Amino acid sequence: MSAHDVIVVGAGAGGGVAAGVLAEAGKSVLLIERGRELAYEDIPRDHLRNHRYSRHGHNTGPSLDGNPRVLVDSDGQEYTLRPHEDAYQNNAAVVGGGARVYGAQAWRYLPADFEMASIYGIPPGSSLADWPISYADVAPYYERTEWEIGVSGDSAESAARWPRDRGYPMPPVPLNRQGVVVRRGAEALGWPTVAVPLLINSTPYGGRPACINCQHCIGFACPVDAKNDSQNTLLARGRATGRLDLVTEAMVEQVDTVGGRVVGVTYVDHDGQRQSARAEVVVLAAGAIETARLLLNSTSPEHPQGLGNAHDQVGRNLQGHYYPGAFGLMSEPVHDGIGPGVTTAITKFNHGNADVIGGGMIADEFVVLPIIFWARNLPPDLRRWGAEAKRFMRDNYTRVARVMGPVQEIPSPDARVTLDPKVRDRWGIPVARLSGTTHPETVRTSAFMHARAREWLAASGAQRIWGSPPRLKLSGGQHQAGTARMGDDPANSVTDRWSRVHGHDNLYVADGSVHVTNGGFNPVLTIMALAFRAAEHAAKSW
Amino acid sequence: MTSASEVAEIVTVLTESQRETLRALIDRIIPADDFPGGWDAGVGDYLDRQFAADLRPLIEMYRAGLDALGHEARATTGSDFAQVAPEAQDEVLRRVEAGDVATDWSVDPAAFFRTVVEHAAEGYYGDPGNGGNRDGVSWQMIGFEVTG
Repeated sequence: MSAHDVIVVGAGAGGGVAAGVLAEAGKSVLLIERGRELAYEDIPRDHLRNHRYSRHGHNTGPSLDGNPRVLVDSDGQEYTLRPHEDAYQNNAAVVGGGARVYGAQAWRYLPADFEMASIYGIPPGSSLADWPISYADVAPYYERTEWEIGVSGDSAESAARWPRDRGYPMPPVPLNRQGVVVRRGAEALGWPTVAVPLLINSTPYGGRPACINCQHCIGFACPVDAKNDSQNTLLARGRATGRLDLVTEAMVEQVDTVGGRVVGVTYVDHDGQRQSARAEVVVLAAGAIETARLLLNSTSPEHPQGLGNAHDQVGRNLQGHYYPGAFGLMSEPVHDGIGPGVTTAITKFNHGNADVIGGGMIADEFVVLPIIFWARNLPPDLRRWGAEAKRFMRDNYTRVARVMGPVQEIPSPDARVTLDPKVRDRWGIPVARLSGTTHPETVRTSAFMHARAREWLAASGAQRIWGSPPRLKLSGGQHQAGTARMGDDPANSVTDRWSRVHGHDNLYVADGSVHVTNGGFNPVLTIMALAFRAAEHAAKSW
Repeated sequence: MTSASEVAEIVTVLTESQRETLRALIDRIIPADDFPGGWDAGVGDYLDRQFAADLRPLIEMYRAGLDALGHEARATTGSDFAQVAPEAQDEVLRRVEAGDVATDWSVDPAAFFRTVVEHAAEGYYGDPGNGGNRDGVSWQMIGFEVTG
């Protein structure tokens, strides 16, 4: 049995930050990660096995065998899924988590994103709620994340949209041809643009070099280590203290309690042996699906429904992001190969739209792998084989632009993670069972944003536009959130305003699970900021 | 990575006749023009590797589908698929794609065809490390250049 001050479960964006902050605060930390620690060379540039195109697997786990989940569709049909299959809602299982191979968009949520219920009211059937904290509570931690992990962006454009005390530490990454074209279109429409903030070094920063503008950013690891996440910043800092022990290929089975109080965890190590680890404080950062699963699997006589689940709230309100967008065949080439690719966003439709709830950011696209272009970007009426398909690829790979973005989802209590009564993983642990869908209002807002995407492409010179608005479905994916949401009332939330599980002053959550709503933006900056905030609170608590 | 012994093993996966049909099929899915067709660009090599790996569970479907395509061509054109003129091959394939076949198929013709089309694209447009897209020829064709 090991003993530390703190155990952190999951070495992703949030867990790496929490572990680093607590180690630097003088605590001894055990960080437990189910995946491996992979160097750049260990993460292949395999176009058929990555988190952008996973038809035949992933480059950063989880392994395809032994990690099933069960999906229940809207007709009640059950499917046992492997990690690379559609609807599994996968995220990378590796030290660094999804952020090891992410696109690194570094958005703050807007002040209004924390007050959705007050602004829009609560649609029937939804669990829409305000956060118990405001933008002002998170702002100092956003700033800390931007500086300690490293964000490039346009400080003035950002300050026109977000109250902020300090600019970004680095200017935006270079503009490419796609960005020039869509900015021209936005200008014609009178839509103000903002350079997409990225957790990518546009200049040398943090002892690591600047981005070399390669074509394999999203879905892959950075060849020069210019992409910033917790594993190459806070986790590295934490390890440098000598107080942080990282255990990999280890699956946490349950949070252990004695007399109802959290005392540590039980995990299965890489040799398949069950180990007990003990600590004063436990921080869960396994991602919104796996954190919920872990809480539900942590049953005891005092907590027969699992930890934090006395009110049947754990695992509910699962959300991610709908991604409405459209493709345009442009009148000029837009691909010049300058990565990461995404450059330019519109944020005027995040709020204040007539007749829909909320909205979302919309932006241009990362450099698209050729096989992804073939699989997803071709016009729907184009025959997928024969001379015509080859000709379209040849003539138009450089001429198709895509704009799209994350819509703020309206949560449903029925979109949820439970435990499957039959299916178990390779360690014999009950797996996550996913059921329900987002609220229909999410679909309406997505249709509105789809129309804006078409409008933007048309103004940018598209000769032809295609793409469809998304349909009602379960959402989660890499932006998964909401399953242990914050609130002041334990009857309708799982964690308190400090990300502590209600009723447990030594059990924290440091991933997207705590998000009450998920913003109309990529969530990672908020996950990291709240991990800083929770870890700082934990460090001060004893 | 696929070992040499695995590759050597899987050339026996298909009969000579099935491989002839497969080659002709791949070259209609991605025909040659001033850039190579699917087979010359290495789609067959991609499939060789994948039959020993991810596509192992689909080998039976490939065998059955290729045999059925051979029967279909003989029944509707009087010749083996690989011996039919390209225009007539395309005519057969359009009917297969639509599921509008003249003979008995032991696999769903439309699903078989859709699957082979997808795998051909993976071999042609995927990274050369997967065994196809020889020398990155499809990337040169479309303008995808790897600079770093």
